[in-house]
Amino acid sequence: MSVAVVLLALLGSVWLLAVVEGWTTTGRLRLTAPLLSGVAHLGRESIVPRTPDRLFFEAAPVLLLVVAVLAAAVLPLAPTLVIADMATGALFVNAALAYVLVALIMAGWGPNGAYAMIGGWRFLGQLIAYAMLIVMPITGVAMRAESLVTTVIVNSQDSVWNIVYQPLGLVLFIIAAMALAFRAPFDLPVAGGELGGGVDAEYTGVRLAVLRLARLTLVVTLALATTVFYLGGWHGPLLPPWAWSLIKTLAVAVSMLLAGRYLPRIREADLMRWCWTLGIPLALLNIIVVGILVLVVP
Amino acid sequence: MTLLEQYSLLLALVIGIGGLIMALYGLARAMGPARQESGKDVPASSGVLSQNPVWGRYHARYYGYALLFLAFDMEMAFMYPWAVVYKEVGLVALYDMGVFLAILFLGLLYGWSQGALRRQ
Repeated sequence: MSVAVVLLALLGSVWLLAVVEGWTTTGRLRLTAPLLSGVAHLGRESIVPRTPDRLFFEAAPVLLLVVAVLAAAVLPLAPTLVIADMATGALFVNAALAYVLVALIMAGWGPNGAYAMIGGWRFLGQLIAYAMLIVMPITGVAMRAESLVTTVIVNSQDSVWNIVYQPLGLVLFIIAAMALAFRAPFDLPVAGGELGGGVDAEYTGVRLAVLRLARLTLVVTLALATTVFYLGGWHGPLLPPWAWSLIKTLAVAVSMLLAGRYLPRIREADLMRWCWTLGIPLALLNIIVVGILVLVVP
Repeated sequence: MTLLEQYSLLLALVIGIGGLIMALYGLARAMGPARQESGKDVPASSGVLSQNPVWGRYHARYYGYALLFLAFDMEMAFMYPWAVVYKEVGLVALYDMGVFLAILFLGLLYGWSQGALRRQ
């Protein structure tokens, strides 16, 4: 039961996000646009480039979608509305999202095209930049909740949300989440203007449809993770819990998209330099500050 | 739910997504095949095949970061169990991990001073 509800909520969020994305690019609010463009993708030719690594080429979009849904499966929408409330939930999110890198390298390697390959390897560098900023802020969240169970993490924010308790962690986590979902300004592996689509370049037809669905699902998953870890999950007045989760998730996802529209793409060397010389010291500081707060404030 | 049930559920989810994608591929195939035409399957490189093989060796210009990343990634494996019992153990846990993180951070500073934190 909860499986179906969570999957439907996920799909609905992806659809709304696609509508908003279309709205910001074309200026028209069309509710049917994602569906129509999806069907149009199915009707187009699905071309396989010559001399591909067929296994990698076929597996990459599927793997990206699978890991995005698996990470969302351990994140709760309401106290009982979670597919698998695992004892290692927060760690499982990390483990699943690590495979985004694998999927993108497969998408880069598979088609045997220069732009795709460069995009794939670029994401490997990007991982080294953002990975620590995903895992370190989550440590702070787990320290406060004394648990890795995602529902317990939400319950630990009953009185004060983590956005107030550890705002530094939230900022670092959102930036890293945008880099992980390779949204602008961190869209280095796809890089429309310079790589001609990068890892997206060789995918057409139904495979591109799956890839796009996977990318949007990844954004929703990360927005949901931000909600669960920092924005108090389902907590909120008046409305039912699931509604608060969805509202917060969509708000985070839309602000991620909007931020990308107003910021120029960052260079790979700059991204790594900023993440390591500023991001990681700040993440360590966040852990120390939360450590003191947890002991001082009961 | 037991752990086994949870993992079975996740496995079922993976299989379900696989099935959904298979159905989409079948639908797309039913709507019409891709016509084989010369030049259509050339990877995006302005219409000509690239002169050099794509699957070659690339210079990992971020190797300085990558070596430090290994140290930090290993450290995170210790941080998660520590974070769960942190409040229970109390101040001792803060000192222990503080010393560990300080040593690691000194390593980062040393790497920085030696020029590891730049594109090589």
